[in-house]
Amino acid sequence: MIEARGLALGYRGRTVLRDVDLSLAAHELVAIVGPNGAGKSTLLRALAGTLTPQHGDVLVDGARVHAMRAAERARHVALVAAEETADGDVVVRDAVALGRLAHRPWWRWNGTADDEAIVDAAIARVALGTLAERRLDSLSSGERQRVWIATALAQQAPTMLLDEPTSHLDLAGAYATLDLLRELAADGAAIAVVLHDLNLAVASVDRVILIGDGTVLADGAIDDVFRAELLTRAYGAEIAVRRTTDGTMVAVPRRRRASGAAR
Amino acid sequence: MAVDVRRGAGIAVLVCALAIAVVAGVAVGAVTLPISAVATAVLHPHATGDVAAIVWALRLPRVLIATLVGASLAISGSLLQGMLRNGLVDPYLTGGSAGAAFTIAVAISLGVPQPLYAGVAFGAALVTTLGVASLARSGRGVSPERLILAGIAVSSLFAGLTTLIIMLSPSAAVSLTILTWLGGSLVGHGWGELACAAAYALGGAVVAFAVVPALNAIRLGDARAIALGVNMDRTRWLTLIGSSLLIASAVSVSGIIGFVGLIVPHVVRALCGADMRWTVPASIPAGAAMVVIADTVARTAAPPAELPIGVLLSVLGVPAFLFIAFRRRRGA
Repeated sequence: MIEARGLALGYRGRTVLRDVDLSLAAHELVAIVGPNGAGKSTLLRALAGTLTPQHGDVLVDGARVHAMRAAERARHVALVAAEETADGDVVVRDAVALGRLAHRPWWRWNGTADDEAIVDAAIARVALGTLAERRLDSLSSGERQRVWIATALAQQAPTMLLDEPTSHLDLAGAYATLDLLRELAADGAAIAVVLHDLNLAVASVDRVILIGDGTVLADGAIDDVFRAELLTRAYGAEIAVRRTTDGTMVAVPRRRRASGAAR
Repeated sequence: MAVDVRRGAGIAVLVCALAIAVVAGVAVGAVTLPISAVATAVLHPHATGDVAAIVWALRLPRVLIATLVGASLAISGSLLQGMLRNGLVDPYLTGGSAGAAFTIAVAISLGVPQPLYAGVAFGAALVTTLGVASLARSGRGVSPERLILAGIAVSSLFAGLTTLIIMLSPSAAVSLTILTWLGGSLVGHGWGELACAAAYALGGAVVAFAVVPALNAIRLGDARAIALGVNMDRTRWLTLIGSSLLIASAVSVSGIIGFVGLIVPHVVRALCGADMRWTVPASIPAGAAMVVIADTVARTAAPPAELPIGVLLSVLGVPAFLFIAFRRRRGA
């Protein structure tokens, strides 16, 4: 459970996002969308407590996340960072077991039998059982993404934040990942996921937070956020919203006419 | 489980190699002793006679110092390569050896008595390494890129100054003493030096072993490690303090012995995989065996002269390193 109040976020004196107020409750799966460079990842890092806000506070389970020690923070919030090079020779099971790091003294090498059971359950939850002894560099992008989700599950934090978990996945892989997140939310987790693809968000989540113009432009149900004028303002490009025959909303860029073309 | 069996087998191979190296190191020398005589002497520490004297006064302390030096350099190499996620990192990169070399060169030129060299080298290595770490500070933590840059810069500075001292030294004998020390040597140390160095190394090893879980998390990437609850500042400082103690301990009794800290982590990773919970312990027998074997060869290859062990390790180590590097590249 996360609550952000009056956040201003940025780097080295430059403010990227301001006046951010939002909350995330158990059983919720929320998509954070917006153009490149809008501050989606910055917001996620601030919510996870790994970036200190310039102003405002983030409360996680009622306590200020930025006042928490690293291990305590990791027991409350699991952050699945965007693609970053991990060493390819790490074995899947060892990677997932690192999710238990925050649950034991920092200098202790191995987890308890309970930790092992939690790691096994996390691996089974994302259907990686047959790959548990494989190295990361022998996996596909989708399989690797499941490893990071399993690692976050092993953290057993009530809140999970994911930064573009579908960025390198094909459509089927992306939908499978979001289906998994929906199941986890249904089980009680509070999940926020940064997505690049607006239509993937429409198909998978019930609530969307739209970032643009240096702030939160809209936060609510798909129908409230997916408005042509809001998306156009956020992305700085003409975007139209259509409904397909089954009622699903689709955001599409308006076709630009070539200059000088016959009308 | 299959992974753990392979890792365990790798460690078993390294421990056997160390055991054979230690026995050979004690038995082989100017006077070669039968293994039964070595065993009898080891089991009877208070016995008198030539064999007991050779084993207890000369060879055993030397072999144990070689074990300690090899283990220390190898652990610190594994730690620093793990922390910086860079297989080209040598523990001497942090400037400890260059600082110690310069200070020892000054001490020899000024006529400081030889028994004080170990203490001087230890202090200089520790101060230089921590100095380099301070230069690499960014915010509250240590930046890996700045550490490598500061280490290379400070090492170059001290290397230049050491050359200057050698050129300005009052006599050829003084120059030779400095050069011998720089070449690395395990000559002339006894149980006293071993005890001192072991105490420093033990302190370093305790700190080093404490950061192993955090270094494993860093293998997933810094951002992921932080998200998993790793305190990066604490991890980097403890890694540097632990490896500084280990390097200083090794330099204090052996002078500059290169390549062990660079090569051993690669050998260990090839045998036991890259999980730090296995690489760090496996570095102990691997590094120790390498230095014990090199020292045995150094004192028996060209009698009655002794080859400088540092030079020998470089001559043998470079081809071994190239073999490993190219084999891995072809395999990849």
